[in-house]
Amino acid sequence: MPEQHDVRLKTLETQVACAADQNLLDAFLRANTWLPHGCSQGTCGSCKMQVLEGEIDHRASSEFILTPHERSEGLALACQATPRSDLLVEPVAEVADDGVVRHPLRDVLGTVSALEDIARDTRRLVIDLDEPLPFTAGQYVELLVPGTEIRRQYSMANAPADTASIELHVRRTEGGAATAGWIFARMHVGDRVEVRGPFGVFGIGRPQNEPAILVAGGTGLAPMKSIVAAALAEDLVPELWLYHGGRTEQDLYDVEFFRDLDFRHDHFHYRPVLSEQDWDGANGMVTDAVLEEFPTCKGFAGYLCGPPAMVEAGRKVFKRRRMAPRLIHQEEFTDASDLARR
Amino acid sequence: MTTTEHNQDLSWLNDVTVTDLERDPYPVYERLRRESPVAFIPALGFHVATTKETCREVAANTEVWDGVISPAGGRTFGHPNVLNANGPEHDELRGMVEPSLQPAEVNRYIDDLVRPIARRYVEAIEDRGHADLVTHFCEPVSVRSLGDLMGLQSVDSDTLREWFHKLSVSFTNAAVSPTGEWANPDGFIPGDEARADIQRVVDPLIDRWIVEPDDSALSHWLHDGMPEGETRPREMLYPTIFVFLLGAMQEPGHAMASTIAGLWTKPDQFEQVVDEPKLIPRAIIESLRWTSPIWSAVARINKVDTTVGGTFLPAGSVVMLSYGSANHDANDYDAPSDFDLTRAPVPHLAFGAGKHACAGASFASEVCRIGLEELFEAIPNLERDDDHEIDFWGWGFRGPTELHARWEV
Ligand code: HEM
Repeated sequence: MPEQHDVRLKTLETQVACAADQNLLDAFLRANTWLPHGCSQGTCGSCKMQVLEGEIDHRASSEFILTPHERSEGLALACQATPRSDLLVEPVAEVADDGVVRHPLRDVLGTVSALEDIARDTRRLVIDLDEPLPFTAGQYVELLVPGTEIRRQYSMANAPADTASIELHVRRTEGGAATAGWIFARMHVGDRVEVRGPFGVFGIGRPQNEPAILVAGGTGLAPMKSIVAAALAEDLVPELWLYHGGRTEQDLYDVEFFRDLDFRHDHFHYRPVLSEQDWDGANGMVTDAVLEEFPTCKGFAGYLCGPPAMVEAGRKVFKRRRMAPRLIHQEEFTDASDLARR
Repeated sequence: MTTTEHNQDLSWLNDVTVTDLERDPYPVYERLRRESPVAFIPALGFHVATTKETCREVAANTEVWDGVISPAGGRTFGHPNVLNANGPEHDELRGMVEPSLQPAEVNRYIDDLVRPIARRYVEAIEDRGHADLVTHFCEPVSVRSLGDLMGLQSVDSDTLREWFHKLSVSFTNAAVSPTGEWANPDGFIPGDEARADIQRVVDPLIDRWIVEPDDSALSHWLHDGMPEGETRPREMLYPTIFVFLLGAMQEPGHAMASTIAGLWTKPDQFEQVVDEPKLIPRAIIESLRWTSPIWSAVARINKVDTTVGGTFLPAGSVVMLSYGSANHDANDYDAPSDFDLTRAPVPHLAFGAGKHACAGASFASEVCRIGLEELFEAIPNLERDDDHEIDFWGWGFRGPTELHARWEV
């Protein structure tokens, strides 16, 4: 067993044990002490913390995300840094009590119970879990690619109320170790899978007054499906729009599922949008469809998940329609390994 | 006239006019920082300290230096005001103004005070699609916030704006002739008018506060620390009221406008700040460094002979602290004339230093923060209107004269 160090969190006066080869974020989340974080991959910087006492190892922290100047001032990325001694730390971002229920990070084993092609280069993967894994709609898990150290992130698409299994949507990446090399190749129903989670802050974790506009590109639909399910079941938002963009009909999936929800709930609206195929639905860029439908987004909250260009365009559209920036939420995909999440 | 150890020929300073400085003080001060950090400018009739080091030395060393108001400032405000007072008199005036401005106290009331004001002024413009933000947002938010704190709810924002503009003209009417006479005596007329106006409006308020104290700052100025049944004489208050009605009214507006103008020089950084309101305080700090609102308006006078920055100063020399120049000191800042949110936050001198350092730093920073939060929240698609130039103006006080923005509605 590797050496352990005590890590104390100044503001909350909590203390956790962290192994010498374990990152600080992992240690805190496992102990069910919530810390601000985003990607857990060292790319978004939202888990920055101030190391007030003790020595840490920055490990793979990038100089772009954590500059030499920040290091010299004692900052560290919680999702990368490991302890070299006992520590006293303080997160840079506020640890606000925002009323969202947080779930501890855990390692859980599961068995593949369904694996099906649902759209172009896209599979639905359902894993029955040995133990329940509570999460908040919008969060993600990491899967360990068997025989490697590689972990890839995928958002849960199932309702958080279903804790016995998780549904993931996976898009094939050419040459990707997890997709082309595993989920689209040698994975079969009945395989055992190592799951770690939940991670992330994206999603709707508590009732809100603002109506929500969800915009998804490709498998960015996964967290949205979970959010829609939770929002409708728990009455979290007054009104809800879901836009799903693809190039052609081959990129859309779960269309009937959402059409049915749209039919049954007056306050849920489903808008599939195609950019490269004429059809009887909406055409063009998915974000332009939002622009067209909403003369103003003031007082709305926005949720974006998809390829970086779509997220960027969506943010611009929301701001152009005067949505308050603090109400715009997005999944941060900032490097190639993150793209595999979708 | 000036004895320096630099053996620099400073005769070029004879050609410097106040008008030049008001248009763009930076080239003159940049040269002075290199050639003679403390120097006598004939058109002003006093010395200026231009580097971080010399400003700090003069501001902080109270053994040698007293606070003094510039001659034009004294002509505008009268005595005793907080800028000009020293020793026990200064302690009393600071003690009078400080209670409502202490950071812990500011935190208690600032959100309830400023946020509704900022919202109201945003609402007035948000559906128009364009505005000069100086006139329609930065200045009104600044004066309304302080006006309400002081107890001047009955004075409308446009009047408060007019007062500080007029006082400002007089305060910075610094130019003197070679014989030491005022070069533009008429420049004091606006300030005299404003003062008369102010007294006409504030006198009845003071009459009321004397018998009916309330929680306004000015009511506290009258009553706090006075024996039962007595109030501070109003002659003791007025000069400092004028200090507030000029600098404290004007500068948060300057700071807000300069922050927006600075961010517009770096569109990526502007976008980042709009997206992440938590960066607003950092943007304000960089803006205070980049274009210091109180660029060159407060001074000190030495009680004994001394040498600063290599310049000998006989006792009684007035030295203007050019904080706006010190904040461009290349020893501390790379490319100082660039606005850059990401630069290492080396402490700036925009709020001054020593015993006379700004009493309203926390209040002012919070007004700016809340103002910009509300503006960017309601109008996240705000853009610079390129049909208008952005002109910065001022040597004593500096900021954009107008700031035209547009957005889609
Ligand atoms: C961003 C806005 C502001 C800036 C940049 C600023 C800057 C300054 C500076 C440079 C001084 C002179 C310091 C020195 O002599 O070394 C000063 C003095 C002062 N400021 Fe501010 N100020 C601002 C806003 C305010 C506000 C809003 C208030 C009051 C509510 C205020 C109250 C004062 C007072 C009372 C003094 C005189 C202190 C003394 O002489 O003892 N200021 N300020």
